[in-house]
Amino acid sequence: MSDALLKVEGLDVLFTSYGQTRQVLRDISFTVGAGERVALIGETGSGKSVTAKAILGTLPRNATVSAGRIEVEGRNVLELPRGARDALKGSAFSLIMQDPLSSFNPVFKIGTHLDDVLRFADSREGVKSSRAQRRARIAAVLRRVQLADPDRVMNAYPSELSGGMRQRVLIGLALLHQPKLLIADEPGTALDVTTQDEILNLINTLVAEEGMALLMITHNLGVVRKVADRVVVMRHGDIVEAGPCEKILAAPEHDYTIGLLDAVPPLYGPRVQTQKISAQAPIVRATGLGKQFGRHGKRFTAVKDVSIALREGEIFGLAGESGSGKTTVARMMMGLSRPTSGTVTVEGTPNPGRPLAQIVYQNPGTSLNPKRTVKQSLGLPLKYAGLTGAARDARMAELMALVRLPVSYLAKYPHELSGGQKQRVAIARALAADPKVLILDEPTAALDVSVQKTVIELLLHLREELGLTYFMISHDLSLMRNFCSRLAIMLRGEIVEEGATPEIFADPKHPYTRALIAAIPVVTDDEERYKPAVSPEERAAFLVKTTD
Amino acid sequence: MQQNPFTAILTRLGTFVLVMVVLSIMIFVLARVVPGDPARMALGPTATPEQVSALRSEMGLDDSLPVQYVSYMGRALQGDLGMSLLSQRPVATDLAQTVPATVELVLVAVVIMFAVAIPLGVMTAHFRDLWVDHVGRLLSLVGVTIPSFLFAISLQLLAARYFGDWPIIGRMDHGLGFAGGPTGLMLVDSLLAGRIDVFLSALQHLALPAVALSMAGIGQITRITRSAMLENRRKDHVLTLQSFGVPERVIIFRYLLKLSSIAPLTIMGLEFASLIGNAFVIEMVFSWGGFASYGLNAILQKDLNAVTAVVLVSGLFFIVANLIVDVLISIIDPRMRRKEAR
Repeated sequence: MSDALLKVEGLDVLFTSYGQTRQVLRDISFTVGAGERVALIGETGSGKSVTAKAILGTLPRNATVSAGRIEVEGRNVLELPRGARDALKGSAFSLIMQDPLSSFNPVFKIGTHLDDVLRFADSREGVKSSRAQRRARIAAVLRRVQLADPDRVMNAYPSELSGGMRQRVLIGLALLHQPKLLIADEPGTALDVTTQDEILNLINTLVAEEGMALLMITHNLGVVRKVADRVVVMRHGDIVEAGPCEKILAAPEHDYTIGLLDAVPPLYGPRVQTQKISAQAPIVRATGLGKQFGRHGKRFTAVKDVSIALREGEIFGLAGESGSGKTTVARMMMGLSRPTSGTVTVEGTPNPGRPLAQIVYQNPGTSLNPKRTVKQSLGLPLKYAGLTGAARDARMAELMALVRLPVSYLAKYPHELSGGQKQRVAIARALAADPKVLILDEPTAALDVSVQKTVIELLLHLREELGLTYFMISHDLSLMRNFCSRLAIMLRGEIVEEGATPEIFADPKHPYTRALIAAIPVVTDDEERYKPAVSPEERAAFLVKTTD
Repeated sequence: MQQNPFTAILTRLGTFVLVMVVLSIMIFVLARVVPGDPARMALGPTATPEQVSALRSEMGLDDSLPVQYVSYMGRALQGDLGMSLLSQRPVATDLAQTVPATVELVLVAVVIMFAVAIPLGVMTAHFRDLWVDHVGRLLSLVGVTIPSFLFAISLQLLAARYFGDWPIIGRMDHGLGFAGGPTGLMLVDSLLAGRIDVFLSALQHLALPAVALSMAGIGQITRITRSAMLENRRKDHVLTLQSFGVPERVIIFRYLLKLSSIAPLTIMGLEFASLIGNAFVIEMVFSWGGFASYGLNAILQKDLNAVTAVVLVSGLFFIVANLIVDVLISIIDPRMRRKEAR
């Protein structure tokens, strides 16, 4: 396509920090034609976001474009003076940001952000507009993104809107000036899967109706299938493969792409793994658990009448979206928080002198103390387990071997480790005190999909070796399909469905479960066909409203 | 959902009343357990034991402490803070004369503080690691580390050396024959009376002590503003506005400045304590007839009623300042408003 809307050619970008120069983009070339939907896909450090920033002209100060061209409608924007380049923002192309909360200044109203963007875009084009005129135009755009009450949205502060509503406003922001190219940086990633699904549908509708081109930046292959015509796969600053979406997803050529697709946990089909149901006796039993927060008149019920029997040797999955109460249940089962009503009974016998359960948190980057070495992090639980001197060192070496890390890593600080390695250390720390139950709080949510695969494999091995029982909390149903033997779905503090994982996926009874499964972005058409059907009424009844 | 801001402020006021009660009990007890008999000190060495015990019972010193406290507070709430042994006048009268001088000094110091520190903080953040930043940071370091009395004396010496007739003590030129006005604040009273000459003289007198008093706060607030600006600069919402072409100056002076003013305001509330503490020293150096120097003399002379009153007024200052800071912050930050309502 010679008259591409966006043409990136041989782009090299260097980052300089503390006197060292690093090349983060190498010879990046791709095009986006008018009305075309292109996805840039890659894992952490692949350079996909840097590419977007280079196009927008918002690279950080320590970055330099050392070679290449970025053409927008035939003009090389890298050679344009700053003013002319700024003039392209919002009109030639617009950006939809990733995190809808941090994308707004918390002390200004939503309307102020929108008005300022529109005001300066107008003045660059020499258009005079009054505040009232702009307000009317903003309201029209907000209605385009299906926000039914624009006045309320404009007068609200960012913290007063739900995540889905904020994401819609961000999309509206990008639409204010009918850009020809929409650049979307992981939209919906920070949101629940049902909300993300709605946002992707909205973007698709808008792109089709307005005839815009879309450059979607994402790490999620399921999202790619949903919103892209063409895919560009990036890795460590290089493009490894590019081509039409169906071809890349169905018949990838490059090893990296093949590995990436292989790492995505399948929802349906022959690749699905099913974990055996445990027939052993329960190890922890929760009966009629309830939890209320708050004092005085404003009590909030987080968990209502939840009963779970965690059987020895099984992997029990508690699924739910944010605010469903799943973490509160886990905390009560561990004894970290006292239930308002109901009881938790430990039926199994803990190893002598050891607590029964330990927890592995979602984000190893924050659950490990950055100022302590791996050895110090592991040393503390071992000290309370009564191990000292040579016995402690031997146990540490044993733990490191269990999580497949070299013993030399004991001397490292968390920032010297990758995300996957940090999570391995966190698992080793949880194992230090010989627990029988591991509580996994979204253990792979902060990790790339290929790393997730290795961590999940490790957890499965550890269960075999040590005879552990897992209690996993997650919102990622495709992961849970392959990892959990039994599943319970939580909605607003209550368990709405519970059963063996294959049965739930084959025949979900509750409409909410169906909506949840249907919203998961999948990689193949076959999986899409297997998804349960959800009627609009059911969606409306159980999903959080994001439109107003 | 909007909440009632009055409830939030009332709750806050309630805690402040509690703080004042605790403070008053503490200073009341403290002032009475220190050795030395105030009646003896008031009457002097020549008084007979009978005279002393007569005065003691007249002052209520023979009653138990709780009784003394209740009767003192009862009178204090009606504006009767007792007699000052030192000046032989009601403490309330003394305070009425001296408090406005200190208020004026502290207020002008606060204005100077913000007028200098906020722009300096914004500039040092914007020109990070350039010479403006280095100079600004050096200045704020100087402000924080050098004690205020040293500033006060240096300013006096410099003024005397290079501006021979610049006033270095007092609140205004007595030759102007200005008797004061209803507020006790020279700047306000002179304008009310239409006396520009008095206003200018008062301003001239205020300049040195106010600058000396504000130095420590300038250093502190510059640093806080700088780091808040730098931290917020990295946030996603700055990138959002940039990518939609909102000019840099609007992002800095509108969006970042408002968000970054929360931290220095919070610090300001705490800084008030050291501001009042420093005022004790500054007022001595500049012979400023404020309540801080009044309090200092009272402490040295064990003038119990005066000491108690001065401590209570200092506490009140601090509390009112923090109340104002809280209100300002909740005006700026909607999240704070909701938190309070909860």
